[in-house]
Formats: sequence, structure tokens, C-alpha cells
Amino acid sequence: MKQSALLVHPFGARYAAALPAADSARREARETLALEGLPGPKREEWRFTPLRGLAKIPFIPAASAEDIDVRDIPADVPRFAGAVRVVLVNGVYRADLSDKVSEAGLAIMEAKTPDHDVHAPLAVLNAAYMSGGVTIAARGVVAKPVHIVSIGAAGAEPAAFHPRFAVAVAPAAKLTVLETHHGLPGQPYFSNPVTTISVGTAGVLRRYVLVREDSEAFHLATTVADVAADAKFDAFHLGLGGALVRQEINVDFVGEGAAVRLNGAYALTGRAHHDFTTFMNHDMPNCTSSQVFKGVVDGESRGVYQGRLLVARHAQKTDGQQLHKALFLSRGPQIDCKPELEIYADDVKCAHGATTGEMDPDHLFYLAARGIDPQAARLLLVQGFLADALENVDDAAVHDILSAEISGWLMRKASA
Amino acid sequence: MALLEIKNLHVSVGGKKILNGISLALNAGEVHAIMGPNGTGKSTLSNVIAGRDGYEVTEGQVLLDGRDVLAMAADERARAGVFLAFQYPVEIPGVTTSAFLKTAINAKRRAEGKPEIDAMEFLKLVKAKQKILGMPDDMIKRALNVGFSGGEKKRAEVLQMTLLEPRVAILDETDSGLDIDALKIVSEGVNTLRSPERAFLIITHYQRLLNYIVPDHVHVLVGGKVVASGGKELAEQLEAEGYARYLSAA
Ligand SMILES: Nc1ncnc2c1ncn2[C@@H]1O[C@H](COP(=O)(O)OP(=O)(O)OP(=O)(O)O)[C@@H](O)[C@H]1O
Ligand SMILES: [Mg+2]
Repeated sequence: MKQSALLVHPFGARYAAALPAADSARREARETLALEGLPGPKREEWRFTPLRGLAKIPFIPAASAEDIDVRDIPADVPRFAGAVRVVLVNGVYRADLSDKVSEAGLAIMEAKTPDHDVHAPLAVLNAAYMSGGVTIAARGVVAKPVHIVSIGAAGAEPAAFHPRFAVAVAPAAKLTVLETHHGLPGQPYFSNPVTTISVGTAGVLRRYVLVREDSEAFHLATTVADVAADAKFDAFHLGLGGALVRQEINVDFVGEGAAVRLNGAYALTGRAHHDFTTFMNHDMPNCTSSQVFKGVVDGESRGVYQGRLLVARHAQKTDGQQLHKALFLSRGPQIDCKPELEIYADDVKCAHGATTGEMDPDHLFYLAARGIDPQAARLLLVQGFLADALENVDDAAVHDILSAEISGWLMRKASA
Repeated sequence: MALLEIKNLHVSVGGKKILNGISLALNAGEVHAIMGPNGTGKSTLSNVIAGRDGYEVTEGQVLLDGRDVLAMAADERARAGVFLAFQYPVEIPGVTTSAFLKTAINAKRRAEGKPEIDAMEFLKLVKAKQKILGMPDDMIKRALNVGFSGGEKKRAEVLQMTLLEPRVAILDETDSGLDIDALKIVSEGVNTLRSPERAFLIITHYQRLLNYIVPDHVHVLVGGKVVASGGKELAEQLEAEGYARYLSAA
């Protein structure tokens, strides 16, 4: 590998030395990390989301900081009524803040060691320094949803943590998981979660992710999902905060007749950066994937959508759709949208679409003609644009939570 | 003084002259109807009064209670009491009809120095008005005009009008797209709003509407100009004869 592709980063010997001796899985990952490093600007998949800024910050492991003391769940963390709440602070499971599980078919265990091999570069970093995590297993129809709350906080020094989540849905089982990521203001923190998902034959997983990190925080999440025959994986991701956020989701179709929906929305102000990178690996016939991502960008923010769709030669009757829509609130932001369709089968239905634009003057006029002033009209239309994205959230309670989050974002923006 | 006065209005769009000196005076309490062939400038006139961008007023004035309407922003005009029921209401995804209505009602109340409408009061009010217009209750939960049928959109425009109680209401082909029963219902809705303080400008292609909403004056617009004015019998005459005689004169 060329030297120029490598990035000098703070996750080397000094970082490791602050932690207790590593187990073999972590040691192995550290060796890989030492060889491969973190992706530099020449790595195609990271071209739009440079890690230079992150690599310059002298992060210490959050676990080694003695001045971090989080005793309660912050008041602004949404409450998911009826859900089993699982709380992690700096990537470590906190039994004292979490609900006990006594739900038929549902098992939640603390994860201690990185037992899945995920090859994405940030997943290697995660495995090298895995902070903690949870494993969730569902059998049968699990009535209670699970709400994972991740709270990040640094002390006097910038701190990093690397949680690992595994979600396993047994054949014909059904589960809903909401994951919300938050943090405390102060020194920057870096959350580097990895989630491995498997949805068994005819299983159903609904996964909802809210990233509302502190405005100085970094959040680089990697998800890999295996979806078996006739299974459904329905996901929605909302990005509302953080200095640099990436939600990377890789889906492998491992059985026929599976249906995957990956939807999401983001809203950015100031210099915030948000990246959705997806990979749909259609390696089986008769599967469908649908993606709709919508972003609202203001200030000098930057939104990225990279959607790779690979349809193998034998993956006939694949239906793969992707759409990215961005709404500019000013002239300052930048959007990078890169659809990448590689199709080797001949009997498929695949398409991508992308639109970017400012607010529709006809919409603004309609509202003005009803006496609504321009500022209120714009607010209503931004809210509408984001609310429209939420149409894809089937769970009514989660819909309400995310809708309230969007209102909160609009209020913070209006008062900024 | 007339409630709404249009004086010698000349308007161009993209360098093309559309309105060629229109003068109309609507007194409080009156209903005026405008009829005219396609493309003669009826919607242009409505849009200019309501304040849509993209029109160049090269001459003339529009006054509401003697105030210069053309100097006001579109939202100000609406708060001052100008209402346009659109010929083609736009669909706005994601914005629920109820959020929109509440925002519009509160904008008006704020301008009048009144407190915001209470949530319960709002629902009660909207429900009552919807009932009169034969609209289902849950319509306001839907995104504004999205997927509404042609007739539903027109009813929704009239619903907005009854909620906002404007001083001058311009109805641009509100009857088109309405079925026979809806036409009656909507007309009754308009008639209940008729009052000595309010004026209407009703644009229509069909005399039938004017059987329900009986106008005080009827004007014929051809080539961006009022070529004839009269009473309600003028509409009957147009229905019978068409515009031929005005077209040849224009
Ligand atoms: N933005 C525009 N650009 C170019 N021409 C325009 C524009 N808006 C209106 N016009 C033209 O102005 C003329 C008048 O249009 P207008 O919509 O006012 O007619 P109308 O009388 O309302 O017709 P209809 O009965 O069909 O609704 C038409 O020839 C139309 O094409
Ligand atoms: Mg018209």
C-alpha cells in the first residue's frame, strides 16, 4: 500500500498502552490495524468523508479516563414506552441504567470480545479496542422492542470508544430495535460502533437508528447484515447531530426472496458532516432492496450518500431501487451523491434517482397566500420534507419519537 | 371608497403583455364574476392581486381599503384580508393539512393581536366547517392536497377560505372539478360567507355556478381587458352565445 494512502492516527501504541493487556482477538485486530491503518483521502469509499480532522485529535480510550462520571441518562434521551432499555456509556454496558430483561424469546447479553470478523477499516479499529457492547437474540415474535441508548462523554481529554452490537433474529422471529446515540458536551468524543445483524429465514427485523451526538463529536458506525431467505430487514436512520457522522450499512443477501428497506434522513447545520454509505450485495435471486435517503442542508454543512448495488450474475429478478433527495436551505452546503450500480444479471429491475434543490417557490407562494410569513413557511416546508421521509417508519411509537427529534432539531436551529 | 380597487392594471410576463389596462371596483358586500376564454389573463389577474412573483406590473394600481396592495408582500396581503382560492392548488408532501391550517389561522390571529388558537378549539372549528363542506374529518391528517382528488382540492380551498374569513376572496375556477352535489355544497359555503363587509371575485367558465352564487356584476375578460360588464343576465347570454362577438371586437 502506498504511504500516501495511510493516515497517521492516534490509535497506535500510546492508545494501546493506556488499556489493560488485550485478548487474542483484539491483538490480532491491532496487527491488522497497524498494517492497514485508517483510510486516507485516496481511498475511494472515503473520498467524501476525510478522516484527517479526526486523526489529528489525540484521543485516549474513554475507559482509561478517570474523570468521566455519567450517573444518569441525560434528560433529552427519548423514552420509548414499553421498550426494554439497554444503556451504554462510552461503549460499556451499564446494568445500573438498563432494564432487566424478562421477555419471552428475548435474550440480551453483555458482549466482551469481538467475535465477528468485519473487514471494514473502522470495524478493524473497533475490534482492536472494543470497549464493550451487547448481543441481542430474538426467538419467536418478541412483543417488546429494545431501545439501545449510547451515551458518549469525554473528560479533560478527547476520548474514543468502540462498542459492538450483535443482533440475531432466529428464523421466523420478529424484533424491533431502536438505537439512539447521544453525548455530553465538552471535549470531543469519538463513537465507533460496529453492529452485526443476522435475520434468519422468514424473520423480520425493524431497526431504527437515531444519531444525535454532541456537535463536537465524531460518530463512524459500521453495520453488516446477513439477510436469509424470505426475511425482512427494515431500517431507518436519522442523522441529526455530530461534527462528523458516517453511517455505513452493508447488506448481504444470503437467501432468496428477502426484502430489505434501508431508509434515512439527515439534517445538517453549521459545519456538520453526515455520510450514508450503503452496499447492497445481491448475491441471491428474487430479492428486493429499496433505499430512500433525504437530507436537509444549511450553513456550510456537507451531506454524502454513496450507494453501491451489486447484482451477481445469478441474482435474477432482483429489484434494487435507490433514491437520494437533498434540500438546500442556503448556498453554502455541499452534497456528494454517488450511486454505483454493478449489475451482472440480465433480468433485473434496478434504478437510482437523485434530486437536489432549493425550496419550491410554488410551495412558498401557496403558504404566503395564506398569510404565513416566509420564515414560518420555510420552517413548515423543511419539517414537511423531513416528515415525508419518516413516512417509511412503520412503528408508530418510533415514528413519534423521531418526529419529535426533528421538531427539536428545527427549534435548536431556529434559536441558534 | 371601494373595498378592492383595480385601476388601469397592465401586466407582463417574461416580456409578454397579458393584462392591458383592467379597472374594476369591488364594493364591500358585492359579488363580481369574471368570465372569459382560456388564456385571457383571469389567473394572471388573480395571481397579481395575491402577490405571486414573476409578474411585471407596468402600469396601474391595486388598492385594498385605499392601501397599495402591490407594495405589500404576498403574506402581508393575505393577512390584510386578500384570499385566493387557487385554480391549481399545489400538493405539499409531509406538511399535514392540520399543521398548515393551524399555522395560517395563527398568522392571522397574531396580526390581529389575538392569542394563538387553542388546540381543542381549532379541532372543533375545523370539524364544524368540514362538516358543512361535506369533507371527512380525517382529511386534515393527510399531507396538504397530496393525493386529493380534483374536487377535494377545491373543497379544501373553500375550507381554508371559511377558516380565514378574508375581506376579499378571489375564487379562480373553484367550480371546475366539482361534482353536481359538491357544486351546491361549495356554493352554499360561499353564500354563508357573503356579508356586507366582504367582497368576492369569482372566476368561472360556467354560468351554472352563478345560479347558486348570484353575482351583482359580471365582467367579460378578453385579451387582458374587460370588454363588457353587466348584471347576472350577461352570464346567461354568454352561456347561450359564447364569446364570438367579443373576440371579433377585440
Ligand atoms: N409564467 C408565464 N410565462 C409565460 N406565459 C405565461 C405565464 N403565465 C401566464 N402566461 C400566459 O398568459 C396568458 C394568460 O394566462 P392565464 O393563466 O392568466 O389565463 P386564464 O384566463 O386564467 O386561462 P384559463 O381559463 O385557461 O385558466 C396565457 O397565454 C398564458 O400562457
Ligand atoms: Mg386560469
